[in-house]
Order: sequence, then C-alpha cells, then structure tokens
Amino acid sequence: MKKLRQTTTVKRHVLIVDDEVVNREILGNILSVKYDVEYADNAKEALEALSRQDKQFALILLDLLMPVMDGFEFLKKRETSEPLKRIPVIVMTSEKESEVRSLKLGAADFITKPFDMPEVLLARCDRIVELYEDQDIIRQTERDHVSGLYTKDYFFEYIRQIELWSRDIPRDAIVFDIEQFHLVNEFCGRDFGDHLLAEIGSALQKELAPMNAIACRADADTFYIFATHQESYDSIRNIVQGILTDFFEVNHIRVRFGLWENVDRNVEIEAWFDRAKAACDKNRGDLTQSFTRYNNEMHARYMFEETLIRDLQSAIDNRDLIVYYQPKYNIEGDIPRLTSAEALIRWMHPTLGFINPGDFVPLFEGNGLIQKVDNFVWNEVAKQIRKWKEAYGITVPVSVNVSRIDILDPELETKLMQLLEENGLSPEEYMLEVTESAYCENMERLIEVIENLRKKGFRIEMDDFGSGYSSLNMITTLPIDILKIDMSFVRNMEKDERNLKLVELVAGIAKFLKIPAVAEGVETESQLKTLKDMGCQIIQGYYFSKPVPPKDFETFIEKELERRRNL
Amino acid sequence: MITIEKLNTFGANTAEGLARCFGNEALYLKLVATIPGEANFDKLKDSLAAKDLKAAFEAAHALKGVLGNLSLTPLYTKVAEITELLRSGTDMDYSSLLADILDKKEVLGGLCKD
Repeated sequence: MKKLRQTTTVKRHVLIVDDEVVNREILGNILSVKYDVEYADNAKEALEALSRQDKQFALILLDLLMPVMDGFEFLKKRETSEPLKRIPVIVMTSEKESEVRSLKLGAADFITKPFDMPEVLLARCDRIVELYEDQDIIRQTERDHVSGLYTKDYFFEYIRQIELWSRDIPRDAIVFDIEQFHLVNEFCGRDFGDHLLAEIGSALQKELAPMNAIACRADADTFYIFATHQESYDSIRNIVQGILTDFFEVNHIRVRFGLWENVDRNVEIEAWFDRAKAACDKNRGDLTQSFTRYNNEMHARYMFEETLIRDLQSAIDNRDLIVYYQPKYNIEGDIPRLTSAEALIRWMHPTLGFINPGDFVPLFEGNGLIQKVDNFVWNEVAKQIRKWKEAYGITVPVSVNVSRIDILDPELETKLMQLLEENGLSPEEYMLEVTESAYCENMERLIEVIENLRKKGFRIEMDDFGSGYSSLNMITTLPIDILKIDMSFVRNMEKDERNLKLVELVAGIAKFLKIPAVAEGVETESQLKTLKDMGCQIIQGYYFSKPVPPKDFETFIEKELERRRNL
Repeated sequence: MITIEKLNTFGANTAEGLARCFGNEALYLKLVATIPGEANFDKLKDSLAAKDLKAAFEAAHALKGVLGNLSLTPLYTKVAEITELLRSGTDMDYSSLLADILDKKEVLGGLCKD
C-alpha cells in the first residue's frame, strides 16, 4: 500500500546549514523539487531557526566547517535536546575522518563533497526522512503510556526480532501480577493505581536493561518479561514487592510470578507467556510461594485446555456436545409431579472420551467461549421442547443457563425470541437460569436485561443462591421467579447444622418473596422429607434421576401422563 | 559574460556541473560567476603570507568544496592539492602553487568579464 505521506502534496521543511552560497544554492536547487528549503549561514543561525515554534523541520543538512559555530558543536548541542534529536541530520563533508566523528555524534548519514548526482542525493534524503518518521511513529506507539514499558504487540514483535538471530540462547518467559489489584483502583482511585503501575514500569526498565531483558504491561496489572535465562529472578520480585510495600505500608498486597524457563522454540511466542501466566494463576492465593514454575502437570492441563478450546467448534458441528435433561419434581402433594427440567451439557470427545463439564464450563466462562456453548444448548432445548410437545401434547418447560457474558450480548433478547419463534414456542415454556454471582457483579445492567426478558414472558431462576454475596436488601428488589438453593448446602445439610440453617433461610426468603424454591442435589429420601418440611416445593437431584439423554427422559413424561390419567 | 563554451575551453567539466544543478544552466553560470570574487582566495593568500597554516587550510578547504561542486576542474585540482598539504601542516614554500591557483582564478575572472 502506498503510504499517505508519499501521496501528500504538502512539502516538508528542510534546513540547509552551510556558509558557502554556492553549496547552499546547488543543494537548495536539488531539494526544492520535493522539499520546502530554508537556509542558515552557520550552526548558530540554524539553532535559532530550529527554536522557532512555527515550523517543524523534517531534515537538517549540515556543513561541518563554518564560522561562528561549526557543525560538530551543533551535533553536540543536538545530543542534549530531545526535540532536536527527533530531526535527522545529514552531514556534508569531504573528509573520511569527519564522517566517522559525525556519525558517532548522532548524524543519520553523510553526503560527500563534491555532491553526488541530484537523484542519488534526493533518494538519500527521502530515505532518512522516512526512516525517522517511521521511528518516531514507533516511538510514539510502542510504549504503554501508564507504565512506560512496551505495549503487548510491540513486545511480541521485538521478541520475534530477537529470536531471528538468537534462537539458540536459552530464554525465560515471566508473567507477574498483583493480587487483588482491582481493589487498589476501587479503594484508592485510578490515579493511585496508575501511579503504582508507573513506578513498577520505571523500576523494571532500570533493572532489566543490564539483564538483556524486555518487558511489557500486557493487561491491567499483568506484566510480561522476556529474559535471557537466569537462575533467579529474586531481584525483580524484591523490587516490585518493595514498591507495593512502600505504596501501601502493608505487607499483604502480594505480587505473584509465573515462570516458564527455557521456552520451547517449537511453540508460538504468545503461548510462552500463556504458559507462564498459567503458572502465575496457579499461584493464586498461595502465600507460601511467590514464584511458580510451569511444570509437567501444568503443561498437561494447559494442553488439555488448549485441545478443548481448539475442538469446541467441531464438537458443536459434529454433535459431540450433547444436552442432557434432569427432571424437576413438585413435591407439594402426595405424589411428586414432573414440572420441568434443567438442561445440562455433556461432551463426548472423539479421542478424550467423556469430559466432565467442570473441566470445560469454567474454562469457557473464563475466555468467553461459553457463549457458543450456551447458544448451542438454547437451540437444542427449544427443538426438544417442541418435539415433546408434538409427541405428547404437553409442554415440559426446560431451564437453560444464561452466562454472564450472554447478559452483555445486545442480541440476547432477539436470539431467544427468534429460536422460540422458529420452534413455535412461547417464552412461558422456556426458563432462564442466571447464577447469583452474576447479579452481584453487574447488577444494573443485569436487572435491566432480566426485566425486559420477564416482560416478554420468560421465567427467571436465580441459580446457586446462597453461594454469592447478595445483600438482604438487594434480594427484595431482584426480578426473579424461582430461587435455586445452592447444591452444596443441600448435600451437606444433614452433616452440618450451619448448612441446614442456610437451606432453611433460603427457603424462608423464597416464601417471603412468594416464589418457589428449588432444591438441587437431592439424593435421599430423608433429604427430600427435610426439604418438604421446610416448605421447599421443587426438587431436583439423583433421588429422582441423574441427568439423562432426551430419549431416556421420555419415560418421565410418560409416567407423568399416566399420573394425570389416574387423577 | 560566462558561457558553457567558455567554461569548456577553461577545462571545466560542465556536463557534471550542470547535472549537479539539475540542468539549470542559468543557476550554474550564476554560481560560476561568483567564484572570481570569492573571498577565500584572498584569505588563503593572506594566511599563507602570515604563515597561518590553519586559517589557510580553512580557506582552501572551503574553496575545494565549492569548486568541486561546480566542477571547475583546473582550479579544483590545484585547490584540492594545496588543501591536503595544508591539512597535514606541511612546512613548504606554497608560493608557486598559490600563484598557479590565483592565475587560474584570474583566467576564469577574465572569461566572466569578456
């Protein structure tokens, strides 16, 4: 692509500094073809011209031997001025010795006297102007403005450059972050947080320069370092931890490091840092160590997760993802009544076999891929409700999971309405489960979305209630239709009095809100009886059935139909 | 008035000089016409008379650049020669070399006046 600057008609300003009129005029005549040329008789005049604010020069052509102030003096002064250093200088000389000396003083290039042919001279000037402009753009964009370190993109690009000529040198990928950094911003303000990141950035630059290492701020409070292998990075840890301790005057705000030593060159550069980050994340909450090395066990986990990420789409396409259904029964009367079901995802991987949802759901929730899974489930469920409706003449409402990321999707409502329409269903036949912690995280947005969905007719279940941090005040204002008691409370309620009290409390809240409470994870008759005594209306769990494929679920529908016939 | 033909007879490499001026003959001839009045010839002469070799070198060096750019070969060659001798601070009798340079300058001056 042709660069914009090559197409622009605006001429850049060039300053020719020479005491000889003949030289000035010859050079000016050549350069004026492409540049707006100004002249100075000596270096002192040149400095005056350059100090004017009205004109920005793209290039200086400098004679060396001049009266009043010579070219060498000019170059020395330029070295101490940041704005002047950004303007390239081409020195005009006829002595070899001066060429070397001026290049050492920061000249970008030299042209010899007598001058070369005009075309050659112009080309050399153009090249230098372009080179410096590129350099300037890079300088302006390569640094993160908060920390002063490289941005992530440039960091990876510089590593690629380094790797071109030194792939045989053992090197390490290091990732570190500050535990609970979001609280720093929240409690101390963003300026304070930025100031802290700037201090860390500047300390790192000083420390890393002699270590032959580079660093970037990859994201918020996460830093990446690429270094020639060393036995210990304690000095870096001590410096960063020292800054934190100085800032907060406390010792418990902790920096944690993940390290992948001697990175494998067969793996992509980005993955070196993904792995170091996996090691860093592994360190979460572990106060006994601040450095975690990427090891075989972590590698196996990492590769497993990478496989899942890679294979998700084909799992959807090949229907390796399967929706299972677990029945929910209303236990208010003498005989339990089938009221609805919950859709639960299962993955039969062609090579890895059955994959536990606990292995992939949190992974995909973390990276946003859960949306793909959710959309798949929503579609499957809508089709299934329709099929059962057609086969048995009754609707078995099924609840599906709505993840946090779905809430942020502006298309959520449209997507749901569309799939209901495609299957001839109404929102009343479809239930949505939102986990309690999602309510706490993004409350205003979530309430707005949920209100809209309820207005359309969807019923909303709050999942895992009791595991999050809802305030009692908040609960009364939440737009929900059903409370689901967190499974762990139900499982432990007979072993632990506190869990029993919690279940009672949640059942009481549901009663207060005049909405049904669903107990999940019910496995025994005695659990069922306890829950029934508490006033819990709906039960889900192995006591009735484990989650089953659609075909097996039909038995429950048929039994329900039989129960109704016998009424 | 100086012309390309006159400069050719003087021995200048006018093709090269013109090319350096991007073919601008008027500019080339205008610049050539300033040479006979170039103050550095006097500075060179006076500095040599005063045995100030550093000042003489500066004058010769400046002349060398200008003459080279205009491809005034006969003058350039002699000025380049004296510049190198002065650069190394050679203690010698410069009078004949200087006379030669000044003679050639006078010839050029004559061509410019005619």
